[in-house]
Amino acid sequence: MASTAHHDDHHGISHVASIRVLVGTGGTLLLLTLVTVLATKIDFGANINLGIAMAIAVLKASLVILFFMHLKYDKIFHTVVFLSAILAASLFVGFTLMDTGQYQHTNIWHPDNPPAAPVGPRPTTG
Amino acid sequence: MTDHPHEPHADAGGHGHGHEAHAEAGHGHHPRFIQHHYDDAQHQFDAGKLGIWLFLAQEVLFFSALFVAYILYRFHHSEIYSYAHKYLDVKYGAINTAVLIFSSLTAAWAVRAAQLNQRKLLIGCIALTIGCAVTFLGIKYIEYSHKYHEQILFGRYFDPCVSSGGTPLLTKSNECHGHKSTVQWQDGKAAAGCYQDIDQDPVAPSVQADCKVEEVRIEHGRPARVAAGAPHDCAKAPTAIVKGDGGTYTFTGACDEIMVVGKGNTIQLDTAKKVAVKGQDNTVRGNAVDAFAGDNTLKREVPKGISSPLPALAAVTDADVDETKQIAREVKRTPIAEQCPEFTPGHGAEHAEGHAAGKHPCWRVGYQPAVCPKKANKEQYGIIVEYGDHEGRGHSYRIDASCKPAPKPAESKEVFVDRDRPIKLGEKALTPHHRLTTHEEHELEAAGPPPEHTSMFFTIYFAMTGLHGIHVLFGVFVFAWLLVRSIKGHFRPDYFGPIDFAALYWHIVDLIWIFLFPLLYLIH
Repeated sequence: MASTAHHDDHHGISHVASIRVLVGTGGTLLLLTLVTVLATKIDFGANINLGIAMAIAVLKASLVILFFMHLKYDKIFHTVVFLSAILAASLFVGFTLMDTGQYQHTNIWHPDNPPAAPVGPRPTTG
Repeated sequence: MTDHPHEPHADAGGHGHGHEAHAEAGHGHHPRFIQHHYDDAQHQFDAGKLGIWLFLAQEVLFFSALFVAYILYRFHHSEIYSYAHKYLDVKYGAINTAVLIFSSLTAAWAVRAAQLNQRKLLIGCIALTIGCAVTFLGIKYIEYSHKYHEQILFGRYFDPCVSSGGTPLLTKSNECHGHKSTVQWQDGKAAAGCYQDIDQDPVAPSVQADCKVEEVRIEHGRPARVAAGAPHDCAKAPTAIVKGDGGTYTFTGACDEIMVVGKGNTIQLDTAKKVAVKGQDNTVRGNAVDAFAGDNTLKREVPKGISSPLPALAAVTDADVDETKQIAREVKRTPIAEQCPEFTPGHGAEHAEGHAAGKHPCWRVGYQPAVCPKKANKEQYGIIVEYGDHEGRGHSYRIDASCKPAPKPAESKEVFVDRDRPIKLGEKALTPHHRLTTHEEHELEAAGPPPEHTSMFFTIYFAMTGLHGIHVLFGVFVFAWLLVRSIKGHFRPDYFGPIDFAALYWHIVDLIWIFLFPLLYLIH
């Protein structure tokens, strides 16, 4: 096994990441952290700023997953496992956001200023 | 396996191997640390790797619940986020991000080192990872303790002493761990009761001040009669009277007042504030006297070597040598342990009301009108500590309060100048008269009190960073265990699963922070 030690490839049990990839990933992550801090200082409008910050965060997360976590070189099944977790979390967030507006009137209100009575069909009289 | 041919089989127990020698000899294809139910090292590694990936998938879902809380609340109450995030220090968040990224690098490198059988490098990488994790937790501790002191906490414990812009605020509890005053104090009195308009409402819950309150015992008495011959100690009775003719009197220490009635006496003293002599042909020896009263037959002798001029000699009156004079003297100061005095709000502007009866019967705290020097026509209200003395037989007590002036707010004074009513807690900051830039608006908002339900931000903040912090702490223990094992030389190119799996866990912890950092610290 020692004979293949200097090859950054599948050898022995699992893939060995090269130093170049490791340091490159780490450096890029640090650089992106700096970029995301600096980007906040510029006013692009609240939504665009949030978008930039999240895009950078997703990029950083991808770098971590692909290279530090070896998913790029790993079994495809592990990717499936991980992506299904992301998918489940997205469904969780998405479906919650979909009808969250329905409860706003009852969520938070001031005792001095209670919400108006709900609008709906009149109760039918017999 | 060649390195440790005779070490016990790690997981022999429970598999029916009673005998270690058999474990090696009987299963020649099973190296050390390979559990019996796996075919080979590859098989064991793959099973472990699938396990850790399933665990990580669960972690994502675990944290997603908190992200849902965050997203929902931000979606509906973005004003809270844009206000509250200013309480957080981007510097600490950014440092912690860098620390975690670096530790991810060392964790990934540790895997490589284990795969390539680089034992020293492996140990170094694991140690660095632990060091980074501990650094992360240390910085978190700094952040959390700061928030604790400023009462920037979750749920109903959110009662901040300062606005997110740094200006002092009223707290609902009338307490503040950070001891920030909202009134300016000078010599125990509220020099300016209108430090800011925020705190000036007499029916507002409270104002906190960092006060040192002392009870001063005052003894009352008459001048001490001094007999000839024996020296009199002024430290015990600083005011004394001498009556008689032709005697010699000695005073030691710092005297307040020495009265002399009679002829031909000699007075020897160290220092005195005043010496009054009634009668002829008396002599006073001593130079450190602030004031003299006597007739023109009084001889004043200055010790040799001192040439400073003596004070002018004033004519003596009967009042100067009145032996029935009442003298008050401070004898003892006892601190009263009360830094943020509790009190019930006053009933109005005109009188000070207040302290819970019986607790400190001799002093009262309450609101009193104080005129702001810059806005002379406007009455403002501040907290006043009254000198509620009480008398006893031969002595009395006084309450001395010396309070620290509040720290000056940064450029926040102008914010409230145009306001014609006090800001109440929970109210939005202000309605400016002129159009402001977005940046100015943010600054002004941050100087005012927090919007309603700001506590929710910190509930979410502490839940997210707390859960993440627990993961970091757990990582420290895992890597410490791996450090011990790697020092023992357990890991080899065909057995490095624990390192790989711990590193994967650590990357997920890093990954979650990568999202937490911009979401909590970098809100625009």
